[in-house]
Amino acid sequence: MDRRRYFARKIANALLTVVLVASFNFILFRILPGDPARLLLPKGKQPPEAVEKQRKAFNLDKPLWQQFIYYWGDTLGGEFGMSFSEKRPVSEVVVERIWPTVVLVGVGTIFATIIGMISGVFAGWRRNGTFDVVTTNLGMVFYSMPTFWFGLLMIMLFSTELRWFPTGRMEEPGADLQGWAQLMSLAKHLFLPAFTFAIAYVGEYHLIMRSSITGVMNEDFTLTARAKGLSDTQVLWKHVVPNAMLPTVTIVMMNIGFVMSGAILSETVFNWPGLGLLSYEAMQKRDYPVMQAVFLLASVAVILANLIADIMYYYLDPRVKS
Amino acid sequence: MMPRRFRNWILVWTPVAWVLLALCTYPKDRPVIIDPQIYPKGEAPTVSLMRSIGGFFAPSIGNYPAWIMIALALCAFAFGVTGLVRRSKARTMNLLLLAMGVVFVLWGLDAGGWSGWQAGGRHGERGWLFQTLALVLAALCIYFWARANPERAELTTWNTHQVWKLYRANWQGMVGLCIMVFFALLALLAPFLADHMMLDPNAQIGVPYAPPDRDYYMWLGCTEIGQSVLAESIWSARISLVVGLLATAISTVLGAGIGIAAGYYGGWQSEVWMRITDVFLVLPWLPLAMVLAAAWGQNFWMIIIIIGITSWPGTARVVRSDTLRVRELQFMERARAIGSSNVHIMTKHVLPNVFPLIFANTILVVAIAILSETTLSFLGLGDPLNFSWGTMLNYAWENGAAGLPAWWYLLPPGIAIVLVVVAFTFIGTAFDEVLDPKLRKREESDERAKTRGAATGEPALAGAGGGTALDDKEGER
Repeated sequence: MDRRRYFARKIANALLTVVLVASFNFILFRILPGDPARLLLPKGKQPPEAVEKQRKAFNLDKPLWQQFIYYWGDTLGGEFGMSFSEKRPVSEVVVERIWPTVVLVGVGTIFATIIGMISGVFAGWRRNGTFDVVTTNLGMVFYSMPTFWFGLLMIMLFSTELRWFPTGRMEEPGADLQGWAQLMSLAKHLFLPAFTFAIAYVGEYHLIMRSSITGVMNEDFTLTARAKGLSDTQVLWKHVVPNAMLPTVTIVMMNIGFVMSGAILSETVFNWPGLGLLSYEAMQKRDYPVMQAVFLLASVAVILANLIADIMYYYLDPRVKS
Repeated sequence: MMPRRFRNWILVWTPVAWVLLALCTYPKDRPVIIDPQIYPKGEAPTVSLMRSIGGFFAPSIGNYPAWIMIALALCAFAFGVTGLVRRSKARTMNLLLLAMGVVFVLWGLDAGGWSGWQAGGRHGERGWLFQTLALVLAALCIYFWARANPERAELTTWNTHQVWKLYRANWQGMVGLCIMVFFALLALLAPFLADHMMLDPNAQIGVPYAPPDRDYYMWLGCTEIGQSVLAESIWSARISLVVGLLATAISTVLGAGIGIAAGYYGGWQSEVWMRITDVFLVLPWLPLAMVLAAAWGQNFWMIIIIIGITSWPGTARVVRSDTLRVRELQFMERARAIGSSNVHIMTKHVLPNVFPLIFANTILVVAIAILSETTLSFLGLGDPLNFSWGTMLNYAWENGAAGLPAWWYLLPPGIAIVLVVVAFTFIGTAFDEVLDPKLRKREESDERAKTRGAATGEPALAGAGGGTALDDKEGER
């Protein structure tokens, strides 16, 4: 298929999904029980004037279709209203929380991808061998383990018992470190949350890589490579792995969009000040404007990751082009 | 003639179903194990054994809300009348269905209260009696259905037996099944294993965070307010499993319905359904569930509905792609040619053929639903009145059990979750392999195909639904 047509279709699809998700967001926060104007105000005493003012500010006094148009204007302008627990614009609150989440998710994903893929390659290469049986069942257990429970166990073992790592937060309270010392402190604080975040994905990537290696090994070109007299190592790393990478890379890319669930749990347990902890705090305080913004941001992240996966697929898989 | 094995199944499963149903609603205040401090030694077991047997005839047995009984009665009447009007072969079964409807109506009237009936009432005193009647009638219904349709009964028996034979050879599936039976028994026998009184905040059996001890209730130590972790873990199994199963039911009905519709109707209808599925697929489920749970309130049914409506898109995708395969099969054209309606084709031809896939997928969804329930409860969105494993971990986390470290409080619920989820994943994967001939190991299936072909002269094994084999047989006649 023509490249431009393929990309245009994928991008149009992604844009349409964004539009639908944003509309869903609009509907979701209007079908919630209660007056949306009241939902957008803090709990407790709400003077009628304040409710009226809020209603004006969010155009809630207009008919629904006009609200819908205004909603789009606000959303595109990054205008989500005021966070009533922090008394600041939501966009400000959200933006300063993005960076820690990106660090956590990035490190965790890289870790999970490398470990999961390498163990998956060896498990798939010697299928039903000891290494395969052990790692695959272990991967299954990691995959079915609640992230937060694993995090609690990590705190119990490494923070409380062994005292190797701090129990949470991004930096020591009160400490003013610079340069190398700051980086080391960050790494120390980052290790447990990133490890906890990664462990579920390690299991998943291991299983995917394993099954895809097994699939490729049944292909004819593997047999040809063997018949040419290549050594096992050469067959594995030159012929099998590059072909098996394709589906795995796509799934890893798609998963990057779905990191929000893992981030919420890992950040909540370890008090890591990212978007996940923000949404947990917002939920506890019923801070709907913040929840709305985080929800929209997370959905857009998924769509973007899917789009990138599609585009990568085009370059990685020659079959799409024909 | 009806196969003997089928008749034996009815004889075995009817009493088993009675006991299981009775255990589900067994009163919480009649345990066998009584704290020896409350009852003097020697006296407790005899007294409580009688009490526990009496529990099976307690007023709370079979005490479901009245509207459920009325709904079941309407279903029974509808099926019975339809069968009679269509002059189906199983006439006795249809008459019995009408009788069952009458029993359900009486049950519902009894539950709602004879004077001043209420739809949500659970007042019935004789629930166990109605339950017995309904189960006996149901068993007779199945018996007479099999008498009227012996070849279908035989096929069902044969298929089930074949599936079980293949399943038994799958060690992962058997391990999963054993773990699941263990936890199911734990949940059902909870009243006999731990006194429900132990969950009362006032029932403190030790100092806060007391470590494990030799005393039965102290086996797993104490919580932050000195309650028994063992008792909490046992009773939590009920909520975790029930929420998981009910949420899966919602998710499967939604996913299978939308998947079949999207796959069967091509064109713009399919496009619309798939667009909706895509939107739900990209919605990050945990933030969505948090928003919904925060806004709709935290109770048992809300959690079930939230998990149900956030977990169906995966099923819909899988079912749709399988429906696309089934749509191209030969007999679909035949069905359309003889003028079957769309709804008829979808329920009578497509559904039986995609059923094995739905079934295997459903079991995998249970694992996800249980994990989701645990996650939501852990974040403090669970039902505060019912203990589940997630709620336990939430209390443990909020009260700093990890900092002590109180391992006896953190490990039991977590290990239970991991075991249950792994068990469901194993069972689901095993069924995937058993029901999908392509996935079955080649040498194994070759061997079996030979013996099977020799025994019956039939080419292929149909899934538990029996759709394909049924159609083949009809085609031969």
